[in-house]
Amino acid sequence: MNRAVLLALQLLVALAFLLLWHVLTTVPIGGRKLLDPFFFSTPLDVLARTWKDLAGGELWRHLGITLLETVLAFATGATGGILLGFAFARRALLAAVFDPYVKAANALPRVVLAPIFALWFGLGIWSKVALGFTLVFFIVFFNVYQGVREVSPTVLANARMLGMNERQLMRHVYWPAALTWMFSSLHTSVGFALVGAVVGEYLGSAGGLGYKIQQAESVFDVTGVFSGMLVLTVFVILLDAVVTAIEKRLLVWRPAPATATS
Amino acid sequence: MTGSRDAGAPAVELAGIAIAFTLSDRSTYRAVQGIDLQVAAGEFVAIVGPTGCGKSTLLNASAGLLQPSAGTVRIFGTPLAGLNRRAGYLFQQDALMPWKTALDNVAVALEPAGIGRGEARARALEWLGRVGLKGFADRYPHMLSGGQRKRVALAQILIRDPEILLMDEPFGPLDAQTRQIMGNLLLDLWAADRKAVLFVTHDLEEAIALADRVIVMSAGPAAGLIGDHPVPLARPRDIAEIRLDPEFHAIHRTIWGSLRAEVQRAYAQGEAAP
Ligand SMILES: Nc1ncnc2c1ncn2[C@@H]1O[C@H](COP(=O)(O)OP(=O)(O)O)[C@@H](O)[C@H]1O
Ligand SMILES: [Mg+2]
Repeated sequence: MNRAVLLALQLLVALAFLLLWHVLTTVPIGGRKLLDPFFFSTPLDVLARTWKDLAGGELWRHLGITLLETVLAFATGATGGILLGFAFARRALLAAVFDPYVKAANALPRVVLAPIFALWFGLGIWSKVALGFTLVFFIVFFNVYQGVREVSPTVLANARMLGMNERQLMRHVYWPAALTWMFSSLHTSVGFALVGAVVGEYLGSAGGLGYKIQQAESVFDVTGVFSGMLVLTVFVILLDAVVTAIEKRLLVWRPAPATATS
Repeated sequence: MTGSRDAGAPAVELAGIAIAFTLSDRSTYRAVQGIDLQVAAGEFVAIVGPTGCGKSTLLNASAGLLQPSAGTVRIFGTPLAGLNRRAGYLFQQDALMPWKTALDNVAVALEPAGIGRGEARARALEWLGRVGLKGFADRYPHMLSGGQRKRVALAQILIRDPEILLMDEPFGPLDAQTRQIMGNLLLDLWAADRKAVLFVTHDLEEAIALADRVIVMSAGPAAGLIGDHPVPLARPRDIAEIRLDPEFHAIHRTIWGSLRAEVQRAYAQGEAAP
């Protein structure tokens, strides 16, 4: 399929959806509008509101807060996950002793921690970072653990036969293997960092996209809610594009996944 | 890399080696038994035997990657403890680091010797040239063919200038033409700087064409060495041409006589196994 044609079709779906939404909420059919704009807003209202917010400085402040929380949650979660993943993979006893606790901690639905984190870290950014951390940490931890343990025994034996000591093995074999696994989960973990930030904001804060959406909801401002969701969606898409670019750069050595080209 | 060389001591000596594996059901599988083998310094010895007889196992023991359950491995007269630091090992499976380019894979082999990055890369490039891959320095392993990957692996090992080469069916997965090219390349490199070579293969013709001596292994379990045949063919040799030599045929006939029964025995066992 031609790229341009595909893009055109994808845009067509969006346009059709917006048109349907517009018609149902603004054009009276059989004497009444099928969807009440109070509950469903209208596409033009949402766009106008978003535009207005973007023109004012307020939205950018909220975006900045959410971005900062996401980045911090990812950075701390990834660092913790890498360190502990390595420790567990290289120390069998440690892994065996802590295994049930790690599994139990991971099984806990993280949302229930949000109020506790708010209590411990206040309503500022750190309670959101903590929530994102608990989500990112486990994904990175499990992937690094797996990556280090599943290094090809032949590659490892070869490196040892080349005379590498423990430090050199770490640098040339274990670390790249672990990074591969970590990057394969990069999209998921960045996504979870954002989820942690937004959910945390939604449940209690004074800033951020989650806060903005929650504010709009509390006064039945459906246009505001949809506008917030639109901004959030675009934000996620941009973040994901950045991750893809980083991934492409760092994993050049990996064979490209077989893609069906026609 | 040259350590104290006990004058006259063989580069590799396997004395009374037996190796057993503990299987998952706790039973023991005796892979090889009563192995006595000596490889002199500068000698090219090939081991042939049916698949699964224990050829890789013997190489692993010579490399120090595997502890024999009985017997001693001596390297230039010294009993082996830990990894064999004087050997380079070309593995049967792909062993290159997939996250490093061909050049970095070769250059990193010099890091344990404390050689700086700049010099290591310059020497690695030289070695890539020697194995005919000068233009492929920036390729990652997955962008190379099987034969090219083996050449990178060969350069990675030879750049350290080991005194002993352990090679495990290095040309096994390659097509016939590539095998010939690789065989000749190996003989050229070996002629330039004679190392002791222990070369494992299941291909008898390849063994005769390359080696000074061909050792035949029996089928497992408890495989042993059942033949030791000198190959008095003149050097330098050309892998493709030497196969036409009448003397080659005579040697082939003799060795095949002892090998054939073992191959059939191994095959029958494989068929009988669940
Ligand atoms: N780690 C192991 N555990 C159990 N059995 C093994 C192990 N490694 C090899 N073996 C067995 O030992 C025998 C010899 O194996 P190997 O040396 O790899 O044979 P080959 O001659 O094909 O290189 C085979 O029967 C194999 O199944
Ligand atoms: Mg083998």
